[in-house]
Amino acid sequence: MSYRDVFGEVLADHHESPRYYGALPLASKVEHGFNPLCGDKIDIYIQVEDGVLVRCQFEGEGCSICMASASILAERIQGMDRLAVLTLIDAFREKMAGATVVKGLPSEDSQEDDLVALYGVKRFPVRIKCALLAWTTLKKAISEGDTP
Amino acid sequence: MNVDLIRKDFPILESSVVYLDSAATSQRPKVVVDAVSNYYLTMNANVHRGVYQWSSAATDAFEGTRALVAEFLGAASTEEVIFTKGTTESINLVAQTFGEMHVQAGDVIAVTRMEHHANFIPWQQLALRKNARFEIIELTDDLRLDPKEIERVLSLKPKIVALTLMSNVTGVRNDIAAISKAFHAVGSHVVLDAAQGLIHEEIKISDLGEIDFLALSAHKLLGPTGVGVLWGRKRLLESMPPYQFGGQMIQEVGDYESSWNGLPHKFEAGTPDIAGVIGFGAALSYLKKVGRNAIAKYEAQITEVVLQEIAKISGVTLIGPKSLEDRGPVFSFSVASIHAHDLATYFDLNQIAVRAGHHCAQPLMKKVGATSTCRASFSFYNTLEEARLFLAVLSQANAFFARKGKEPHRRRSHVVS
Ligand SMILES: Cc1ncc(COP(=O)(O)O)c(C=O)c1O
Repeated sequence: MSYRDVFGEVLADHHESPRYYGALPLASKVEHGFNPLCGDKIDIYIQVEDGVLVRCQFEGEGCSICMASASILAERIQGMDRLAVLTLIDAFREKMAGATVVKGLPSEDSQEDDLVALYGVKRFPVRIKCALLAWTTLKKAISEGDTP
Repeated sequence: MNVDLIRKDFPILESSVVYLDSAATSQRPKVVVDAVSNYYLTMNANVHRGVYQWSSAATDAFEGTRALVAEFLGAASTEEVIFTKGTTESINLVAQTFGEMHVQAGDVIAVTRMEHHANFIPWQQLALRKNARFEIIELTDDLRLDPKEIERVLSLKPKIVALTLMSNVTGVRNDIAAISKAFHAVGSHVVLDAAQGLIHEEIKISDLGEIDFLALSAHKLLGPTGVGVLWGRKRLLESMPPYQFGGQMIQEVGDYESSWNGLPHKFEAGTPDIAGVIGFGAALSYLKKVGRNAIAKYEAQITEVVLQEIAKISGVTLIGPKSLEDRGPVFSFSVASIHAHDLATYFDLNQIAVRAGHHCAQPLMKKVGATSTCRASFSFYNTLEEARLFLAVLSQANAFFARKGKEPHRRRSHVVS
C-alpha cells in the first residue's frame, strides 16, 4: 500500500508540492495556528486590500492532511473577496462536520475540484481536525476587526 | 507462559486488530468483565452502608480488592491503600494535601523531564501556588535520568521529588530504589508514578527503596477504567488533611465542625466505583495467576526482537535507549519522511493499533525535539508474530513514503514571493 492508495493522488500531490508555501514578506497579518493534540503548526500570511484577500501563503509543520489541506485552501482563495472566503470556510467546516450537500461547495462527484479530495478525510474521523487547521486559522486571520 | 492460551482469556483479541497500545490502556480478560457484571447482576448495593446481604456482599468484594492491592504492592496494611479514579487523581491528591501542608515559599520541588503530564503539572502548579522553586531533573542523550542531574538536584534538598517508575514514551525503567534512598537521605519525600511498569515485572514496595507515595491506574493493569490507587506510608497519610469532603470520609458531623473517618476511608469521599474496584480485584488475581516473572521473561523476547530489527530499518529512529537493560516493551519512533499521524493512519489501515502524538509528555518531547512520535507498546498477550508484523509494516511504510532528498517539512513552494 502506498501513500497514494491511502490518501489519494490529489492530497499526495499537494502534500509533496504545496502551493503558496512560504513566508510572505508583504503580509499585512500573520496568524498562527496550533493543534495541541498532535502538534500540527501553521502560519498563515495574508495580504488584504480593500476587503480583498490579495494574497495568502502558509508555512508549517504538520501531517500530510494538514499541509495538503492548507495548500488546497490557499490555491482556491487567492484574490477572493474577504467575506466570500469567510463563507467558504464556514461551508467547508459544515461539510467536514458531516453535511452531505453544502451550498457553495463542489459536490462529492466533481472530479475536477481538488477540494473534493479533502472530503475523503471524513473516512478518518480523528484526522478531520488536521484538515481544518488551516481553515480555522485563516478564519481567525481575516475575521478580526469585523464590523457587522 | 503460553501466549496462545492467554489470548483465549481476552475475547477482544479474537479480532484481526493487532493491539499495540497497551501503554495507553491494557486489554481486559473476560474474568474482569465478568466480575463487573456479576456485581451488577447479583449484589448491586452501596458499600459500607446497608446491613442487608447484598450490601455486605458488595462490601466484602470491594474490600477484598483492597486486600489484593495490599498484597500486590506488598503494603504493610490495607489502611495504606486508598481507592481513587486513577493515577492522575492519586497524584493530585498528594499534591493538594501533603504538598499543600508540607511545602513553603522558597522550598524546592523536583520532577524529571520524562514525566507524564499527570506527574508534572500538579507539582509545577503547587510550586507556583507556594512560591516554591520547581526543578527538573534532566536526561542524558538516550533519555535516561542523568546521574549528574540527580546529584545536582540532591544538593538542593528538595522537599518533594516526583518521578516515574517507567516512561510511557521511551519505556525507560528508573532505578527507584537507589534514587529514593538518596533523596530520603537528604530529607526529601518521594512520590512514585507507577502507572507504567507494574504490569511488566514483579515489583514490591520493598524493592523501591524509600518511596513515600505510589500512584497507579487499574486500567493499565488489566482492570476497569475509572479506578486507581494511592498507596502512602501510614504515618504520612494520618498527618494529611482530607482531600474531598462528603459521605463515607467522616466520623461525626456536627453543626459547626466535623471529624474524619480513619484510614483509608478519610480519603474516599462519596460512593466509589464499586463495580470497577471489584473488577480490579479480578484483574489482580488473574495477573497473579499468569505471574509477573513469567511476563517479564516473555516480554524481554519481544523487546529484543523489536530492538534488533528496528535498528536495521534505515530512516527509522528509535527514541530513547537502544539496549535491552532497564526498559520495558514500549517503543517510540519516528520515520524521516513521514509525519507521525500519517504513519499511525498507515498502521491503522494495516489493522495495527499504535499511538501517535505527544503521549502527554510535552516536556520530554521538547528534549526530543519533536511535536509528535509514533509509539508501539506491547504486553504479554501480544505475540512474536505480531511484533514481526509490526516491523514488516513499519519497514514497508518507510520504503513507500521515503522520497529521496525530500525533507518532510522544508518543501519547495510553487510560489516565489
Ligand atoms: C506514566 C504515566 N503517568 C500517569 C498516567 C495517567 O494515568 P491515568 O490517566 O490513568 O490517570 C499515565 C497514563 O497514560 C502514564 O502513562
